[in-house]
Amino acid sequence: MTISPSTSLTPAAGRHLRVRALAYVAGEPVPFFWPMRSFIHHNPLHGLEHLPFATAVEKGAKLFHARGFLPRHVYQGYLADGRIDAAALATEVERFVAMRAPIETVELKAWLTALLRAERDPVIAGGTIADVDDLHAALHAGQGGERSPLEAATLIPMLRDTLLGDRPVQEAVDALCGTAITAEINESVIRVCLDFFDEGQSVWVMPDREQGLFTAWRRVAGREMQRLLDAIAEAESGADGVLTPEMVIDHILRRLEVPETHWIGYFTREIAQLHGWAGFIRWRATASHYHWSERYPGDLVDLLAIRLSFALLLLTKRVTGGQPKTRGDLERLIESAPHVAYLRRELHCGRALPALVQRVEDALLRRDNKLLGALFVAYAQARRVDEAATQLARLRALAQRAGQQVPFESLGRDALAALIDALRDFEKDEGMIWLRAMETRAMQTLLAGLSLDAPPPREKRPFVQAAFCIDTRSERIRRHLESVGDYQTFGVAGFFGVPVSLIELGKGSETHLCPVLLTPKNVVLEMSSAARANEAAVTALGHAMHKLKESVLSPFVTVEAIGLLFGFDMIGKTVAPRAYNHWRRHLHEHKSGTHLLLDKLSREQADSILRAVQRAIIVEAVEQELGLPAEKVNDALVRALREAALGHAELAPEVIAELGVPTSGAVRFIDQLRGNHRINAAFSNRQMEELGRIGFTIDEQVRFVRQALSSIGLTGNFSRFVLLAGHGSTSENNPYESALDCGACGGNHGLISARVLAQMANKPAVRKRLAEKGIEIPDDTWFMPALHNTTTDEITLHDLELLPTSHLVYLDRLRTGLNSAARLCAQERLPSLQIVPDRQDPGAAFKSARRNAMDWSQVRPEWGLSRNAYFIIGRRDLTRSMGLDGRAFLHSYDYRVDPKRRLLENILTGPLVVGQWINMEHYFSAVDNERFGSGSKVYHNVAGRFGVMTGNLSDLRTGLPSQTVLENGQPYHEPMRLITVIEAPFEQARAAVEAVVSVKRLVRNGWIRLIVIDPETATVCLYEEDGSWRRRPHGQSTESDLTQERCAS
Amino acid sequence: MSISLDLLAALFLPLFPLSMVFTRVFDRLRHPLARAALLLAWPQLGVLLIAQTALPPPDAFIVWALATAAFYAYRAIALRDVGLWIAFIAVSAWSLLWLGAGDVLTMHVQALAFSVPLLLLNLLSGDLERRFGAAHTRLKLGLAAVAPRYAAVFVVAMLAAVASPVFPNFFSLLATITHRVAEHGAGLSVFMVALVWVLWTWSGARLIQGIVVGEGDARNVADLSTPMVWAYAGGFLFLAAAGLALAGVLL
Repeated sequence: MTISPSTSLTPAAGRHLRVRALAYVAGEPVPFFWPMRSFIHHNPLHGLEHLPFATAVEKGAKLFHARGFLPRHVYQGYLADGRIDAAALATEVERFVAMRAPIETVELKAWLTALLRAERDPVIAGGTIADVDDLHAALHAGQGGERSPLEAATLIPMLRDTLLGDRPVQEAVDALCGTAITAEINESVIRVCLDFFDEGQSVWVMPDREQGLFTAWRRVAGREMQRLLDAIAEAESGADGVLTPEMVIDHILRRLEVPETHWIGYFTREIAQLHGWAGFIRWRATASHYHWSERYPGDLVDLLAIRLSFALLLLTKRVTGGQPKTRGDLERLIESAPHVAYLRRELHCGRALPALVQRVEDALLRRDNKLLGALFVAYAQARRVDEAATQLARLRALAQRAGQQVPFESLGRDALAALIDALRDFEKDEGMIWLRAMETRAMQTLLAGLSLDAPPPREKRPFVQAAFCIDTRSERIRRHLESVGDYQTFGVAGFFGVPVSLIELGKGSETHLCPVLLTPKNVVLEMSSAARANEAAVTALGHAMHKLKESVLSPFVTVEAIGLLFGFDMIGKTVAPRAYNHWRRHLHEHKSGTHLLLDKLSREQADSILRAVQRAIIVEAVEQELGLPAEKVNDALVRALREAALGHAELAPEVIAELGVPTSGAVRFIDQLRGNHRINAAFSNRQMEELGRIGFTIDEQVRFVRQALSSIGLTGNFSRFVLLAGHGSTSENNPYESALDCGACGGNHGLISARVLAQMANKPAVRKRLAEKGIEIPDDTWFMPALHNTTTDEITLHDLELLPTSHLVYLDRLRTGLNSAARLCAQERLPSLQIVPDRQDPGAAFKSARRNAMDWSQVRPEWGLSRNAYFIIGRRDLTRSMGLDGRAFLHSYDYRVDPKRRLLENILTGPLVVGQWINMEHYFSAVDNERFGSGSKVYHNVAGRFGVMTGNLSDLRTGLPSQTVLENGQPYHEPMRLITVIEAPFEQARAAVEAVVSVKRLVRNGWIRLIVIDPETATVCLYEEDGSWRRRPHGQSTESDLTQERCAS
Repeated sequence: MSISLDLLAALFLPLFPLSMVFTRVFDRLRHPLARAALLLAWPQLGVLLIAQTALPPPDAFIVWALATAAFYAYRAIALRDVGLWIAFIAVSAWSLLWLGAGDVLTMHVQALAFSVPLLLLNLLSGDLERRFGAAHTRLKLGLAAVAPRYAAVFVVAMLAAVASPVFPNFFSLLATITHRVAEHGAGLSVFMVALVWVLWTWSGARLIQGIVVGEGDARNVADLSTPMVWAYAGGFLFLAAAGLALAGVLL
């Protein structure tokens, strides 16, 4: 194929296209951030999942300036209280020692064991200029001794490594000049993002947002910035003044002399500065259905252009007096005066030796090269002596703890160097060593409790079969429900396998009720048969209140006038939250019982609905635009107007007469109907298409019900009641409320999904077709939707009006059972929340839990999914005999009904991946809550109605707050990779994992730990990070047994 | 003779550039107790010398003193070392004594009132230097996170040093202003004294920001012991009581 000259890209256009492509690639390591209205748990290092876990953690830690593992002293605490397996730890140490050459007179195992068990802080310091010779001299002479001055050949690479590379110019300038340009840029960019991405929180919004982020910002940028951008526009596109964000990026990077080979890394570093905002912008740019994104587009290229514009402007303004302001300047400074660059970095990065800090500052201010040269020699010498002494002290302390003082004091230079290398490498690998040992203990605990014994045969069907979400919080309620009566429970992803897009009653937008990995094709409408309440007055009052609060001046008056009312509200919420909220709920209009429009509409039905809607609009329009009273707007008139608006007929003179306006007025009105009210042919066609998405065909319904029941192994022996329990949470004053809701329902309550499946499964036509496919559901079986409130442990039954009268007699027993389970669950769960001093009786605990859910000062309404550790895919009998303490995702699965392993692959594809996201979100939020988590809720402020910031200006806080994963500053969540257990024949399970590419990658790269329990051979197979499987008989639980036999994958 | 004595007094109630002698000596003396002795004795010597001259001093000295006070207060804003900052604030404060020069006993009391609040900060600064190597804002001390007791005591000591109300130097400053107003009416000199006070506060706030706020690097440093906290608290209470008593004497 040839490209004609007219269609080929100009060099500039090619460059700009390249910028866009590079920005896209550079943004990959930054995870998506979804609006918090429907909080999505995600892996903060999702963009690095193609790498092995350890490598990704190391890379992520550098990129986000974060910690990838817990501090050593926390692991030591775990070791002391038995949460880390000491034998596994010893094995890890031995493995490390075995891989290294022996060091003369050094008992490396003793050193490493002492380091792990007794040393609180890292022993080997990084980034030092003291080398092993300095240390050796200090060891044997008691001091550093005189050494040759630090050579430029040593200094220059060190400086280049720390100041150049992919590092943005302003960061290096900050490090060398003591400026705070990076912080200034961040603040400015946050302000721009807050203004542009606002979703209705601000009263005064940024103008021209429809033009996109960069253009809208450019129009309101300050005068200096305008001048800068105009100059770039002139340089890039001449007199026409067109300026795209790609042009800006290309131009600025060239001006800053950043080599093109570093652009991707440079972009990534820039983007990662505000990874919360960047993650939100990345997600938004790809969310085609998202209303705000459609209206006000913005992407990472815009963000980069804005950041770089601020960078260039501030570098020009803040850096004066011949200081470096481009990468070229930085390189020249490092090459020509490395000692000055070194001293500058020492001073401005807060690393200067305290004794010399004032001298260094004075010398740099004087800019006397001779003085600086002499000071550098003295400083470097002092630094080396200081570092060597500090390092030596640490090594001596470690030697003492290891019982190795005598050999250490006589170590030769080479042995000392080898020891330091070994300790450095070990400390680098240490996080993984602790983690594996911790996971080993967790696996031992789990495997010891699992039972492969066949359950005793049932004499009769259970009273109730209840399917709960796989969520870890369901484990407790399931256990207690099973303990209070004849209940059989199942675990299934909370959307019950039916991806639904819901249009809720009173809302015009769709909510996706399924994991974010899926995009629902079917829409379900929530409808009410109740008459419309007089909402107008209430709505108007609420609207007026908001306007008063949000306006610039009115709050002063509002506080004086009606502030007292809020005071009553505050006292009520604080002093007696339960009673007050109960009373207040009565004041609000309850949402009446609703129905779900679930069946596919026929063409005629869809047409009829569309007509009805258009008729209603026309009636309203005639009343409003022409002022005709309702009684004069008859059906014939409406029909004639509709036909005219759709272009099917002309307006008849008698119709115009009825309207009471001249012909021109009638024509204008028809135009208004077509334009303002969108009664036109094109829009009607679109609406017909949308209506076509509503509901499910019978085939689809049969497929979904069959799949849901088969996937949990419920294909026969149906009870009278099959409870489908979705879950949700209730809390007050909590922006993270949706993080406590159902992840499988896209961060929403799971009730609608339960109602959808129940409605489908109760339909006779569906049951008939299911019976043809081998699933016989008795006539007296009733699928009943319910909601499990995870904050209060209550289970409420829904759609009771549809319940057959024959079942009413059993309802009381069912409610009693559910109530008892809820109380027992609250009793078990409450002590960990520490809201009451002692363990309470079930009734009191249940009351306390309800109060907790209504307390607006409560920062921790529940622990949510904290402490999650396991994902178990198998029959309930496997785990029934053990209490899993709310730590396991339990997905019911019976391999016997899945010979083609389709169901297993489905479980791996959806629920397991969501579970892994949740697990990793908790892992990283626990190991570094400030960087990967969102810090304390106490300082949070809602930003733009889609996220939270710390204080009034910060990066969007992603991850989980400290109140969710930490307790008294220490991890409550025990950060481990998800230990996944599949109960199935080994080959079947292995083939299923191999068939699901995303899961295979996660397993092979060590993001999840996989165990297969083969019930037919009663063996346990553990996938090792080296790619092999280790197998042992079930029932042996020690580490030595676990490593007994290896089998190649 | 009087001018010579005035010039000699300008060394001890330091006026720029003679003030450089004091700052240099103070900088050289590293021991906190030696510095404390210097802070107490230096202005008293100045007052003794000025008492030998014909009071009030010439107007030129008043202008010179005001310029010195403002200059050192302004320069203190850029300082990052707490020890040096104390020396600069001491110079700035003592030079203001020239404005109220009349009654020698009052001058002795005022000089003491300026010096004593700086003593506590000086002792604390010495302690910080011993533990952290230096009390300098270029080091990432982050006292609030690393050693909260140190941080609290440092903040109060700094408030005392910048002549916050109830501390003696506040009333001494107020006495200087009221004296000037009584003698000459509210003029430029009063405005200058007020400006000097604002500059002290500004520079003090910068030091608090640099030393107390932020993340600290030195994680293993022991915090101030409880007895020492009580000792400092006693010192602050004494200063407050002395300040209130002084208010009755000077105003």
